[in-house]
Amino acid sequence: MAAFLFRRLVAAAGMLLVVGTIIFSLLVIVPGDPAALLLATGGGSGTEEQIAAVRERMGLDQPVWQQYVDFLTSSLRFDFGTSLIDGSSIAENIGLRLPRTLELIVAGALFALAVAIPAGTYAGLHAGGRFDVVASAANALLTSVPGFVVGTLFIYLFAQILRVLPAGGYVPFAQDPVQHLRMLVLPALTVGLHLSTIIFRMTRASVLEMRGHDWVRTATAKGLRRRLVVRRHILRNALGPVITVVGLQLGILLGSTVLVEFVYNWPGLSGFLVSAVEQRDYPSVRAVILTVAAIFIAINLAIEILYSLLDPRIRQQ
Amino acid sequence: MTRHSLTTGPTRRTVLMGFGAGLTVMAMPGALRAQSGPTVLRFGLSTFPPSIKPWDNTGAAANTVKLMLNRGLTGYNNASELVPELAESWDWESDTSIVFKLKPGARFHNGEQVTSGDVKWSLEKILEPGSSSFLRRDLSMINGIEVIDDLTLRVTLSSPSAVMLDLFANFNCPIIWSGSQGEDYIGCGPFKMKSQERGVYIELERNDDFVEAGTPKVEGIRFIVYADENLRYAALEAGDVDIIEYLPWSQFDTVDASDKLKMAASLGPYMFLLFNVTQGPFADPRVRRAVGFAIERQDIVDAAFAGRGEPLFSFPNPQGSPFDLSDPEHEWSYDPDRAKALLAEAGYPNGFDCRLLATATYGMHQDTASVVQAYLAMIGINATLDLPDWATRVTAGTEGRYDLCVHGTSGYYNDPDSIASLLHSANPSYLQSFGFKSDRIDSLLDQGRAETDPDKRTAIYQELNTVYFEEVPQVPLNWRVQAYAMSNRIQGFASFPGFLNGASTYSLDETTLG
Repeated sequence: MAAFLFRRLVAAAGMLLVVGTIIFSLLVIVPGDPAALLLATGGGSGTEEQIAAVRERMGLDQPVWQQYVDFLTSSLRFDFGTSLIDGSSIAENIGLRLPRTLELIVAGALFALAVAIPAGTYAGLHAGGRFDVVASAANALLTSVPGFVVGTLFIYLFAQILRVLPAGGYVPFAQDPVQHLRMLVLPALTVGLHLSTIIFRMTRASVLEMRGHDWVRTATAKGLRRRLVVRRHILRNALGPVITVVGLQLGILLGSTVLVEFVYNWPGLSGFLVSAVEQRDYPSVRAVILTVAAIFIAINLAIEILYSLLDPRIRQQ
Repeated sequence: MTRHSLTTGPTRRTVLMGFGAGLTVMAMPGALRAQSGPTVLRFGLSTFPPSIKPWDNTGAAANTVKLMLNRGLTGYNNASELVPELAESWDWESDTSIVFKLKPGARFHNGEQVTSGDVKWSLEKILEPGSSSFLRRDLSMINGIEVIDDLTLRVTLSSPSAVMLDLFANFNCPIIWSGSQGEDYIGCGPFKMKSQERGVYIELERNDDFVEAGTPKVEGIRFIVYADENLRYAALEAGDVDIIEYLPWSQFDTVDASDKLKMAASLGPYMFLLFNVTQGPFADPRVRRAVGFAIERQDIVDAAFAGRGEPLFSFPNPQGSPFDLSDPEHEWSYDPDRAKALLAEAGYPNGFDCRLLATATYGMHQDTASVVQAYLAMIGINATLDLPDWATRVTAGTEGRYDLCVHGTSGYYNDPDSIASLLHSANPSYLQSFGFKSDRIDSLLDQGRAETDPDKRTAIYQELNTVYFEEVPQVPLNWRVQAYAMSNRIQGFASFPGFLNGASTYSLDETTLG
């Protein structure tokens, strides 16, 4: 087991190094000079001398290999450094914003589960019925509408026409809990809506498959209450694949809530990443991608270890 | 097994009830909706200021925030007239020597009095070699700052300056407490920093000791960033903010028609074309002039700015400028025949291929480029559009990786001198035609700045207008309307004309929320 763990940890570390190196190289290749850009914002412009001064302050006058070595050694120490743009601590920025993206994803997922599992189950149990036809059609429609379109429509409807919810933005929960939740509703719905279409489809298909199995017929035949048949014998079996998909989707959402965050001005991690890319704030970009990659790799590692505990054969491979 | 036998899972009724309960919960907070404090102004910014270092220029959003935190020797009143701010008065002893008297009541946010020592320290910081201060070159005619007493100081110049007092009113020329440590700059503006989060908001609270007694009228300002222009407008319409900058052109009509919103608009910035004059056909001024005759400018105004702008046919002399530079002999018009004749004269009767650089980051740049491309095709110039993101665009401009390129910007005061940085070869940047250098233009700009007699300055700028047409450092396209939009509850916000549009936020001092 120790050898297995060691191999996995080395592999995970290797993967992080590869990710780090790719990000570093990409940012070197991408055109755009952060120093010139900082002085160029909003129609101004820096002189060559001023740009050189800013480059020096940012450490961009160092040779590329030196920057790479610095990047690797400081990443090892979990020292992400400071933003090129405003000198703020990148670790602090990530610490501030990662929980917000997670909040958005979790709220969206809760909504999606709460809606899609009952709806999917009902549709699966009554495949071909009226509800199933309508829900499946709506589902197909919603699957194909991208999040930013839904977001824009929601804002138009709920904020501009009905004026019941804010158009976007964020206040910390501690500062104003009600306003915080009101601001969470639309973005979480938008994230959740797309997720719910996936869950609905999976649940419906899975329930449809399970309800045809022998043990369901047996359970019904031996006189179990129908509610129990559905809950114990159909749903419990049907939800396995659904949970796998939800888990996968949550990981994907971590990096892909960017459009929702942008549309609603939700100050999460992906928004931070996008603005860092726009401003060529190299250390921030690297730190965010490394963080997200590390979370991904850690989840995978955890799953592998979990599987190996369940199935010792995996350890031998 | 019938379908009926299984219906005691979730029923249609329970599912629908679930939906209903969810909707009720969602809508409920609407009833609990609370307005933020009635006298905190909520201002929708277009971007989070990359930096609010007092003397660096990092764009319009940063300028607005800086102007609330800091002030300089001079400023503008609500009629956009230059007025004393920290200075009480000034006296020109000669063309090159001026004595400022400071207001005794001016205090920094830490309670310290604003003294001539602080003024000297701040100006020296701006002029320090290697500083990234925006106005360093413009203020380089200052060659002496002498503290006479706590509230009096003399500034001496190496040459006269017609625009120094305008420069002192600029957002990038504030007076900062000389004891400020590191990056913690302590200013004396109408508001103090309360809290901020990068990329999200900046909250300011009223400085009760502001030098202009009785202002500011509101208790605080909360700047909230809405990078997307449509969301910024939606936030205004939804009542999440009270005022926004950069109203998108597509929404002008809606605001005009609204009885809840109004706008403060002025014909401020202008759009123009730049050229790489180091190679190819555009090295020839006749070809550049031909481009000026090839474009129907009203189409740009209509396509890129929803009709909110005006064609510009000659040197961009801003609205509110004291000079009349009109000269029909030396301005463009839409005249494709003349454009073709000029091309033929330059040796390109059949046109040529080239690269037109703009950016996809700003729709107005991209749309302008599309119209320009279409009109150039009509005289045989086949332009391929290059539309990278803004950062790449800036670098391509700085390195000259284009043949011609679209840009738009504004000066900072209503004087032809205000666009010197776009024309003078001492400041090469992505804002200028790559490799362009004209001794005549440089010399006229220098003369115009160092001349204080209005008649002589008129003559100088009339000549500059002529040379601009002959040498074509840029091809002017159009003025664009720039607007702040706000709730009808807002009173006292004034729109400053021309290049002073960005300084309209001086009027936030007088702004009230009804």
